[in-house]
Parts: sequence; structure tokens; C-alpha cells
Amino acid sequence: MAATVTAPPATDGVAKARPEWLERAVAQALALLLAIVIALALGSVIIVLYGESPIDVYRAIFEAATTAKDGPAWVLAAATPLIFSALAVSICFKGGLFNIGVEGQYLVAMVTAAWAALHLGGVLPGPLLMWGVLVFAMLGGMVYAAVPGVLKVKTGAHEVVTTIMMNGIAVSLVAWALNGPLKYTNAPAGQNVDLRTDIFPSNAKVPELGHLLGFGPAPHLSWLFPLAAVAAVIVWFIVKRMRLGYEARAVGASAGSAQAGGINIGSVQVKLFLISGALAGLVGMQQILSNNASSTGGGYLPQNYEATLGFTGIAVAFLGQNNPIGIVFAAIFWAALSRGESILPIETEMPREFVIILQGILIMSVVITYTLARRRLDRRQTGRVIAEEEAIEQQEPDQPPPTIQEVTA
Amino acid sequence: MTDIDGAGSESSPPLVVLEGITKHFPGVVANDDVSLELRAGEVHALIGENGAGKSTLMRILYGMYPADAGRFLIRGEEVKIHSPRDAIARGIGMVHQHFVLVDPFTVAENVILGDEGGAVLDEDGAERKVRELADAYGFQIDPHATVEDLSVGEEQRVEILKALYRGVDILILDEPTAVLTPAETSDLFENLRRLRADGKSIVFISHKLDEVLDIADRITVLRRGVVVGETTPPQTSKAQLAEMMVGRPVLFRLDKPQVEIGEPVLELDDLTGGRLHGLSLEVRAGEIVGVAGVEGNGQRDLADAIMGLQTLEGGHVVLEGRDLGTLSTAEIRNAGVGFIPEDRHDQGLVLGMTLWENSVLGRQDDAPFVRRGVLSLRRIKDLARRLVKLFDVRARSIDVTAGALSGGNQQKLILARELETDPKLLLAAQPTRGLDVGAIEFVWRQILDQKAAGRGVLLISAELDEIYALSDRILTLYEGRITGEYPPDAPPEDVGRGMLGAVAMQGAG
Amino acid sequence: MSKLGFAVSIAFTYFTIIYLTGIGGLFSERSGIVNIGLEGLMIIGTVTGSFGAYYFGTKLGWGVPAGPLMGLLLGLACGAAFASIHALATVTFKIDHIVSGVVINLVAVGLARFLSTIFFGQATQSDPGQPHLHVISIPLLSKIPAFGNAFQGLSPVVLLPFLIVFPVWWVLYRTRWGLRLRSAGENPEATRSLGVAVAPLRWEGVLLSGAFAGLSGAFLSVEIVNNWREGQTLGLGFIALAALILSNWSPIRLLGAAFLFGFAQAIPLALRDWPIIRSIPPQFVNMTPYVVTIVVLAGFIGKVRPPAAAGRAYEGTTT
Repeated sequence: MAATVTAPPATDGVAKARPEWLERAVAQALALLLAIVIALALGSVIIVLYGESPIDVYRAIFEAATTAKDGPAWVLAAATPLIFSALAVSICFKGGLFNIGVEGQYLVAMVTAAWAALHLGGVLPGPLLMWGVLVFAMLGGMVYAAVPGVLKVKTGAHEVVTTIMMNGIAVSLVAWALNGPLKYTNAPAGQNVDLRTDIFPSNAKVPELGHLLGFGPAPHLSWLFPLAAVAAVIVWFIVKRMRLGYEARAVGASAGSAQAGGINIGSVQVKLFLISGALAGLVGMQQILSNNASSTGGGYLPQNYEATLGFTGIAVAFLGQNNPIGIVFAAIFWAALSRGESILPIETEMPREFVIILQGILIMSVVITYTLARRRLDRRQTGRVIAEEEAIEQQEPDQPPPTIQEVTA
Repeated sequence: MTDIDGAGSESSPPLVVLEGITKHFPGVVANDDVSLELRAGEVHALIGENGAGKSTLMRILYGMYPADAGRFLIRGEEVKIHSPRDAIARGIGMVHQHFVLVDPFTVAENVILGDEGGAVLDEDGAERKVRELADAYGFQIDPHATVEDLSVGEEQRVEILKALYRGVDILILDEPTAVLTPAETSDLFENLRRLRADGKSIVFISHKLDEVLDIADRITVLRRGVVVGETTPPQTSKAQLAEMMVGRPVLFRLDKPQVEIGEPVLELDDLTGGRLHGLSLEVRAGEIVGVAGVEGNGQRDLADAIMGLQTLEGGHVVLEGRDLGTLSTAEIRNAGVGFIPEDRHDQGLVLGMTLWENSVLGRQDDAPFVRRGVLSLRRIKDLARRLVKLFDVRARSIDVTAGALSGGNQQKLILARELETDPKLLLAAQPTRGLDVGAIEFVWRQILDQKAAGRGVLLISAELDEIYALSDRILTLYEGRITGEYPPDAPPEDVGRGMLGAVAMQGAG
Repeated sequence: MSKLGFAVSIAFTYFTIIYLTGIGGLFSERSGIVNIGLEGLMIIGTVTGSFGAYYFGTKLGWGVPAGPLMGLLLGLACGAAFASIHALATVTFKIDHIVSGVVINLVAVGLARFLSTIFFGQATQSDPGQPHLHVISIPLLSKIPAFGNAFQGLSPVVLLPFLIVFPVWWVLYRTRWGLRLRSAGENPEATRSLGVAVAPLRWEGVLLSGAFAGLSGAFLSVEIVNNWREGQTLGLGFIALAALILSNWSPIRLLGAAFLFGFAQAIPLALRDWPIIRSIPPQFVNMTPYVVTIVVLAGFIGKVRPPAAAGRAYEGTTT
């Protein structure tokens, strides 16, 4: 390839002011800070209307999460499913897909996990059973997420509506499972039976972590929390360092260019749904596999399982700006706020639902500030590039081009 | 010249005066103390490179942006224009380069939108008024037709009618002939002459110097936001205008290297599907084949079909004897095809990603950039630095977002990326669209270099200048079929006829 | 066969909900703003509507029909007010439409709980004693022998879809506002270039969607269920979206689409004992509405044409 002979380039990574990635990180952090300030400010208005002092209320919430007896343990435990959920949402979002179906995916995963816990004890001895159960949970989530994924790719059906419909279907599936194949043996007959599965063998459960960290009795907190942190790192690696992540980001940002560059959009989209489903599958594991605080000591799938973790995961993903590391912190922050829910009616006049409102305002502020910050940053970058081009043009005006003979001779 | 002499010219006072207009955008001065006079009964051409500020200036007049400094005088009276509505109220109308029509609406609905004459629509009345207006100026158009079904020339007439319907005296046309065939252009010019005779003042923004010399009464040249010259056609020439636009002498034709033409690199056999209706052509090694045609005749489909982005209903795409039929886009690229897409934002670069991330697009499956699914950032960034150096892509670092680069640099990046793989066939679709003269020359040189290196080039372009400058053979594309083949010294009228569908097969097609 | 009649009357009530919400979505999308937050808007309608009916009807003693009517009105107004957040986000701040819709849905659930504690002192349901409008029977149709009972004992609100379908069509296609609204949804650059502001049109479209969805939700809690309970919207807001897509954004075709989905709702509720359905496990029958929605979306999405500019932020003056 013949080289061209023109003015020397002004590039090669010579950063004059600030490197771009740093600028972006700073902008994101500032946007987050602004959003939190706005949320706290608007929340203060509501607090004042209730006749309370904002400082007291916020301090109560803060203490409940940090200095109270089992605060930190509770917070980390509550953050665990949120991390998995938000990761599941965000990895799809990188590819421009909205997986609102984490909700249904983890329900189905709980069913498949319960089945594995109750039936694979013979095949998988000792600690293997627990791993087997986790794998089956991920498989359940993957298969369930594959349905809207394939529908999207093959028929173009918009995943927002299909995944939500799948959520509705999942609720019925769990009800069916609890009434049928997984119904607990020795269930008394009658109308108002509290349905659940049998209790899992103890080697299916995930061991506790609380005492290891010096938290004292903390039934919820288990090794699932570090697993969630590891999952965050893995997701970061996939998105930033693996080809699949690159392809996903290209598809999410500009599907046409991605396709022209040889990327198979459908294949990428299905893969994203599968990974997302696998992560979603782990969302429900805390409630059925850890020693959650209940009369029977946990380790089964109850009729009154905890729902809405899928939707909360979306909120946490937005709060964490769809960044795996940000998501871990966002989940912890969110859980810390939620911890305040039970404290509020006791120590203040505020209803516990105030926390929900605060969280709602927070999501809205974050989405707006983050988008505005990103847009301003793009504009500034573009302006700067153009200005620099101008400067270069002034210094070294275009020379008349050589004729082809000069170059190829 | 058979122009009807304008009723205006030197005798009448100026209709519109722009004084000292200055406008800044982030990082750039679009207009710097620009002053201009428009007279009734005159066609005033405003010329300059891309980014010279001509569109910006007119958009300020039309109320789409506020000026930072300066003022307007209409009929001697100073006015403030805050919005298109104000502009229209003052008798100023604008036809944009990219039409702003509502496809599912009828012609009449498009014309009356915004001036409906009442809260309840009177469809019949509207159609009647539009028909009367069209007849008054000799425009051929059916008010009842849906815009979606119209040809490009007809759409333009609707745009002009929109302005006339509102009784404008000043009509601004932004690059009106960019999408017209030679015949439609001459229709347009006839209509413009009629409007001029009626006393209208017409601003003709263009970079097509031949046309400007044909239709304009006066010409103002902008360069980098500043007025660098004002003249009339008898007093100037194409070369002089070009030099004023760019600031240095401009070559209109580069010397084509003499290369021996080899075996066919690309053979297209009866392609059918989408807008293609039995398209066949051939490109040999060392040859540049130029496909000329007005937009909308299947250019995009042709490029997409070759790249595997569009499924074909029939026909074959053969690269060096190998049928590409069932291959994926990635495989086609690997087989040795480089692609400069007509829309660099839609098919070329991922604007949200950084420069270095875009450098590897198209090779994200290949070692050494990817090993076992993991990206090697070091190697990719090395590639990026190499591309930037080779093609002088002006960016302060490889970490800038691709969206922040100027159009010319974006195109250079794409060129660098595609040519670095040394493809056997270069598919270049509208490769210099939206670029300034310096960048155009650069791109042309790269394409000629490919020919010199014995590669095959398929050039698809709506700019006849470009086709003539580069091609060894000229093919015309009309309604998804090749209608004619011409040597590079064929008169443009012949090629123009082929672009309109007149079939003239003089050889293999 | 009165079983079928019963099913049809249930279908009617869900048809009304889906149609009203769908019309809201129609106005929003026609103006160019995708609104998937219809579910959340309905939720706000349910809780405020229930409160309105209870407060004015029982607490203040206004009785029937004033009480329930106030409930419906309050639901409509609050739905529109809540939708202003979506409008602010998408039209003014140009946030991605789907993201904003997701946020609306998330926040609505929490907000409903919060409002419920204020209105009813408890988070997930309302107080008893909430009045509703007198039911009506449609004169001739209710005498039909086989399933005349489908047309008896209906809330008068069920007539609303039929009353508004022609006015809505007329406003969209025969008035200046409708022309401008549709142009904002198809090509806002055209609208702007002719001096018509796009943002107010889109605000109007979104506020209307909030009003209709809120009204629909209030209808559900005031007229059908006669109280407020968390989660009673059952995804109907999304089903309304699917109905809207199926109807190709036409207020007239929406009648048919809404009835189809309304009937799908009726199957698990009224037709459980029917021959084939009887042998399917009950939980699977419950899935019917969701499965029907998915099948419709998968089958029809390629064959419809949404407003061309829906979903794209309009940046103002283009460069």
C-alpha cells in the first residue's frame, strides 16, 4: 500500500489535557453525586411535610445500615441478589436489549434448583450437591431467558413486552410446581395449606459467612455474596476484554455498523440473553439456599417467596450506571437504604414507604443526570477535536497534493 | 445563454441585507462577520466547501439558530427573526438539503401543515389551492398523491410549493441538485427562472460549480466562515471559484496510473432482490469501475448484496471465481473485500466507541487481535496508532470517541482500516460525501493507489465529477439494473441519459 | 350457555381497560414518544381512583354517582400528572424512551404503596366501603336468549370505548391538532421547519396517555374490583401495548385487538370448566393472557408500521 506524504500527525497518544477515560469517570461520579444530592433534597421536602427533621431521618437510616447490631451483615446479604439481578439486566443493556424478565427467570431457576436439590443428592455427594444446585439454577434461568431472546432474533418481537409476559407465566409455573411435582411430602390436606417444597439436604445449602467476618449471627449472609462480587468481575471482563463484549457494545451502539463489520447480531443477542439468564438464575439462590431466618431454618422453596428482586435489579443497574463495579456499590447502597425501612416507623414519624419514594426519586435523578452529563461530555469532546483540527490547519495548511507519479514512482 | 434576464440586478434596492453575522458553535466559528445582499428577481449563489458556513448562514436567516452578532434588514427595515415562523412571516422560505416531508401524508397535507387555516381540516379546499398554485408556476404535481410514492424531483417541488404557499419572496435552496438527475436539474432551473422572472429572490447554496455558473446572477464565496469573494459568472471561471473556495489551486483530475488490467476480481451475475432487478457487472484487477446513478436506484442494495448484508432472491456474487452466495459478512470480508459504506455513521463506524475500538471493527475475529475470545488491547491499540499515522487521521489521541472526529477524519479512519487488510476488491460507495476538497483529493488518491497496486475497485457514486475522475469504465445504474457502459471520455449527456434509463449496452454488462 | 355470556361480560370489562389504556398509548406514540410506562400510569390510576371513590363517596357522603365519578376523575388527573415525569424525561431531557418508561413503572409501584399509606393507612390495600356506579343493562342485547347475560350488570364505563372511538379518529385525522400531532410522530423535522413547535405536541400526547391510562386504572379499582389492591393491574398495561401494536396504531382496529386480549383474560376466569380447558392444570390456564400476547407479538410484529419517528429523540434544530 503506497504511503501518503503529508503533514506529520499530531497524535500517538500525546494527551495534552486529560485522558478521555478519566474525564468520563469524573463526569459519571459527579453525575451520581448530583443525583444523590437531588434525591436527598427532594426527600427532605417530604420529611419536613411530615414534621420531622431531615438530619434525624437520614441519620437513622445511616445508622441502621452501619452501626446497628446486624446492620452491615443484613445489608451485604440483601445486596447479594441485587448484584446478580443488576448484572443480568446490565449485560443485556450493553447490547441494547432490555431484559425485564429477570423476575421470571429467577423464579423458574428456583424451581429447577429445588428439583436438583431434592433429586440429585444421590448423584452429587457432599459439597458437589451445592454446586450442582447452583448450576441447575443457572440452567433454568438460561433456558427461560432463551425464549424471549430467540423470539426477538427470529421474529423481532420486542423483548420488553415478551419478557414481562414471561414473568407472568413464571408465577404460574412456580405455583404449578409447588402444587404438583415439587409439593412437599406429608403436606396436610385442605384448602389453606402453606405450600412449599420439601426441605433440601443440608449439603445443598450455601454456608454462612457472617461469623467469618466477625458479624455475629447473620443467617442471610452466605458465600453467595463473594460469589456475586466475583460475578461482577467476570461480567466486567466479558464486557471490556472479550470479543463477545466488544460485539455486544457495537451492536448496542450501532447495529448497522456492527453488522457491516461482520458481527452476527442475532447470535450476539441470544448469547447475551443466555448469560443474563444464568446470572438471573442466581438471584433467588439466597432465599432458598442460605439459612434464612425462619422457623424451619431455611433451605426450601416456599409459596411466599420473595418477588420483585428482578425489578429492583433494574433500578440498581441504572444506579450503578450499567457498570459492573458500580453495580456492586449501588446494590450495597440500595440495600442500606432498604435497611432503613424497618427502622423508620420505630424511631421517627415517617412511614417505611418513605424509603421507597426516596429510592424512586433517586433512580429518576440518576437516569437524567447521567444522560445529561454524558451528552455534555460528548459535545465538549467534539468541540475540542474540531478546535484542535482547526489549530493544526492554521499551522500547517494543506499542501498541494503530489501527483500519482510522484508517489508511486 | 438563454436565461431570462432578471428583473432585479443593479437597479433595484436590496430585498434582504445581512450585516456582520457572526455565529459560534462549540470549538468552531461558523460565520465570522459575514455580510450579504439579496436582490429581487435574482439568483444569488452561495458557494463554499463543506463546513464553510453557507448552510449555517442561511439557517440563521431562516430563524433556526440565533446569530451571536449582526443584524438583518428586510426592505431597509431592521428585523429580528427568532424562528422559522418569523422568517416565513417576513417572506423567507427555505428548502433544505434533506427534505422534511411527512411520508404518509398527501402533498396537500404536507403543504398546509402549520398553516391549515382553521382548527378543522378542509382537505378538498387545500388540494384545490395547492393545485392552483402548482399550475400558476408550471409545476407538475398531484396534490392528492402520497409523498411516499413521489420521485425525488417531485418531492423537491413539494418543498418549493410549501414556501410559495406561504407567499415567500425570498427562497433559499440548500444543495438542491444533490439528488437530481441532469434532466431533473434542468427542470428545476426552468422553474427557478420562472420564479426569478416573477420577482422572487433566490439563494442557491451549492458546491457544484458548473451549475452555479449556469444559473446564478451573482456568486458569493465563503471559506471557513468568512466571505472571500463576490463575483458574477461572466467575470469568473470554475477554476477561479474553486481556488477561492479552498484557498489554493485545486486539481480537478488526478493522473490515472497506467496499469495492465487482469483477470476478473468481482463478477455480479443477474442480481435480484430488494431494489435490484437483474444487475450484472464485472470488475477486473487493476481496474476502477464507476457505477453512476441517482440515489434511490439500488446503490445501497448493490453494496449490501455484495457484502452479504442483504439476502438475494436470485443471482450470484463471485469473487475471484468463488461464489460468495452463502457466506456471512465476516467471511466475505475475510475473502478479501474492503468496504467503504455510503453512510459512515450507519454502516462504517460505531460512533459511541473510541477510535481504537473502531480500528479493529471487521477484524474482531482475527488473531492477533483476539485470542480465544479475549481481546489483546495492546495489539489493537498498536493497529490504531498505525492507521492514524498512515492516513494522517487528525485526532489528539486514539481514545477519543469516533463521533467526535470530523467527517473527513472519520472517512480516513474507515479507509485506513479497510485498506490495511490489503483487500482484493475495494467497494467504495459515495466515498467523498460530505467531505471538503482536501479530504476528497486524499480519498481519490487512495482509490487510484489501489488501482496502481493491481486491485479491483467498484466505485458507486452520485457525483459525476468523481466518476469521471476515477473510472476506467463507467456504468449507469437505473432501477436496479445496469443500463449502459461508457468509456471515461464519454460526454456527460450520454451518461446522464443512461442514468435515466436509456439503455445503451456497448459491451459486457 | 350463560357461561359464555359470563365470559363475554368479563371480556367486555377487560376490553374496556385495554382499549382505554391503548388509546392513551396511541396518542403518545403518534406524537413520537414511546410509552411503555402505561402499566405504571394505570397503577397510579388504581390507587388514586380508589381513594377518590372512597373519600368522596363514603367519607364525604356524596354517594353514588358522585363518589365513583370523582374517583374516575381523580385517577385520570393523577395519571396525567404522573405522566408528566415521562414527558419531562423524554421530551425535555431526551432520555431514551424505554428507559424512562421502565423508571415510570418502577417508581409507580413504590409511589402507590406510599400513597396507600397516606390514603388508607396501610400499604397494600384500601379500606372497605368503596362505592361504585350503578350497573346497567344494555336494552336490546341483554334479551338475546343464549348469552344475553353478557350485557347485563355492566358498569356504564364499558360504553366509553364505543363513545370515543369516532371522536378520537376524527380528532386525529380531521383536525389541525391531529395533523400536527401525527407529523411530530412521523417527521418532527418537517413539523419544526414549518414553524410548529414539536415539544408541546409531544407533551400533549404523553399527558393524554397518562390521563387515559389513569382513567383505565381507576375504572379497574373503582368499578370492577371495588377496592385497591397492590398488583391488581396484572400486566394489563403491557397487554394494551401489544393490542396497540396489533391494531397498527388505529383507534378503530384497536377495538378488535382489545377485545381479543380481553377475551384471553376471560378464559381463565370464566371458562375453566370448558371441555379442553378442563383438562389443563389450572396454573397453566392462568397463563393464557400472557401466552396469547406473546404469540400475537411474535406473529405480527413484522407486519405493522409504527409512527416513523417514534422512539427517536428530536434534537431541536438539526445541523
